[in-house]
Amino acid sequence: MSKLLRKLLFIDLLKGMLITFKTIFTQPVTIRYPKQKRPLEEGFRGRHAFVRNPETGRERCVACTKCAQVCPSQCIYIDYSVNTESGARVLTKYEVDAFRCIFCGYCEEVCPVNAIVLTEFYEYASYNRESNYFNKERLLKNWDEFMEHYKRTDYLNKFWYLPGIKRDRLPVGKRQPRVVYKNINSEGR
Amino acid sequence: MGQLEIEKIDDTTFVLQMGPHHPATHGVLKLLCEFEGERVIKIKPDVGYLHRGVEKLSESKTYPGAMTLTDRLDYISSMTNNIGYCLAVERLMGIEPPRRAKFIRTMVAEMTRLSSHLLWLATHALDIGAMTVFLYAFREREQILQFFEKICGARLTVSYPRIGGVRVDVKKHVLDEIYTFIELMIKRVDEYETLLTENRIWIARTRGVGVISPQDAVLLGLTGPVLRGSGVYYDIRKHMPYDAYSEVDFEVPLGENGDTYDRYLCRIREMRQSALIVKQCIEKMPEGDIISDKSPDIDLPYQSKRKIEPGDSLWSGFIAFSEEKQEIMPKGEIYSAIEAPKGELGFYIVSDGSGKPYRMRVRAPSFIHISAIPKLCEGHLLADVIAIIGTLDIVMGEADR
Repeated sequence: MSKLLRKLLFIDLLKGMLITFKTIFTQPVTIRYPKQKRPLEEGFRGRHAFVRNPETGRERCVACTKCAQVCPSQCIYIDYSVNTESGARVLTKYEVDAFRCIFCGYCEEVCPVNAIVLTEFYEYASYNRESNYFNKERLLKNWDEFMEHYKRTDYLNKFWYLPGIKRDRLPVGKRQPRVVYKNINSEGR
Repeated sequence: MGQLEIEKIDDTTFVLQMGPHHPATHGVLKLLCEFEGERVIKIKPDVGYLHRGVEKLSESKTYPGAMTLTDRLDYISSMTNNIGYCLAVERLMGIEPPRRAKFIRTMVAEMTRLSSHLLWLATHALDIGAMTVFLYAFREREQILQFFEKICGARLTVSYPRIGGVRVDVKKHVLDEIYTFIELMIKRVDEYETLLTENRIWIARTRGVGVISPQDAVLLGLTGPVLRGSGVYYDIRKHMPYDAYSEVDFEVPLGENGDTYDRYLCRIREMRQSALIVKQCIEKMPEGDIISDKSPDIDLPYQSKRKIEPGDSLWSGFIAFSEEKQEIMPKGEIYSAIEAPKGELGFYIVSDGSGKPYRMRVRAPSFIHISAIPKLCEGHLLADVIAIIGTLDIVMGEADR
């Protein structure tokens, strides 16, 4: 009897309607994207960049080719020459194909000198393919563009030193005390 | 070649090709249906539109590199895919992850189950005609994805677990945030239930649709909520516990009739259980390491390099180089399965001792569930086919691989 009454009075539907009615008075959860932006979390894997060494003004890369070896999608192309006097490697070509990249972050994890980084920048869609094929100069420019809008004073990527990992699991170059990258732009302001 | 065709029985029937770009087929599933009036007589699923060769591709990657491919199998629950793969390699290598890593894995796996079930609920309800649930479910799913972003820096293709542990530690304040969200989540599930469970339209569209008996479900190889909806008690989390599932309390919800409505109830109850597991994991989360000492580095070599010794001639050195490979991984083969949100997700890995898998085979639940579509749809209306595709919770990325 009560079942029939419930059905006749549309109790089941009204209960549902009540929830939708209540939701009218709550704050909207959506944001108006191009105008409003959601703050990104620390360690978001976005556009690639080369960290510019503040002392020399050049990239930190030592051409060990570890990143190219470990890359699952094989999107990093490296070439280097050897300086005959000092025996050091000189980076001649470093290219990242952002269309092939799967943003796993393995490259920044194995890098022994914290040279390559996936910055927290994601708005780089464009109409031409060349603009997302990064060469060495472009990667350094990416870093400058990222640092322009970076608010905090020092930058330390989460994947350079994985939180909670033992020191002896890190690549050899990273086992010294941590070097925090100082943001020059913020000091100047 | 390769074109599926249905032979028409007589002139009273007609053949309809549904998909592969039909919005209700959840991806690129194509169904060849033969109708008499509006009733389905025969139905043939056609798969393979999203084939990317993940199994073959993984043979040319190292073990850690192949893990990033498993993200892209079932792209809405990539955490469980990664865990399933890592667990198989761990069992092959004989590594035991530390206790904290096990709890973190269990936590993220259950959060993935929540997000996967939310997406299922949203799209299934939208297919049947309930628009509001779609919006509400995506509201909560967005928050879960933001937690994944906080934990590992990516929302969908996470690559978070590692062979022998997890990649990064979860911070204390993130755990607290997850805890408060989960408490809210349990209330939200009640909200979805109020909108749907007693709703007369929902009941009319789902009750008695796509009935499958327990015997048939087992014979077809169905797993997960689709099997449990028929009342078969089979859950790998209970039967073969992995990670920290033996240390948390939860129930396995079972259905009775094996129709779409029961499967819906099963998944809804599972969401509540998942929320409880996440809560328990955060409460019991121990301190300690997150990765095992024996775990391989991500720059694992393809082959170990054997140096040519001074006594070797060119030919014998070459023979030694090509034949006497040192083993990086233990030789052998393994099948290990986990309970993914869709069902039993198994990885069969053959190792020949080198740094890359000799063969990796994925037992994808979606692929096996697709094979049940002809059985489930027989004699139903065209509109019910949509409901049945929705209730099986198919992801074509996993089915075609």
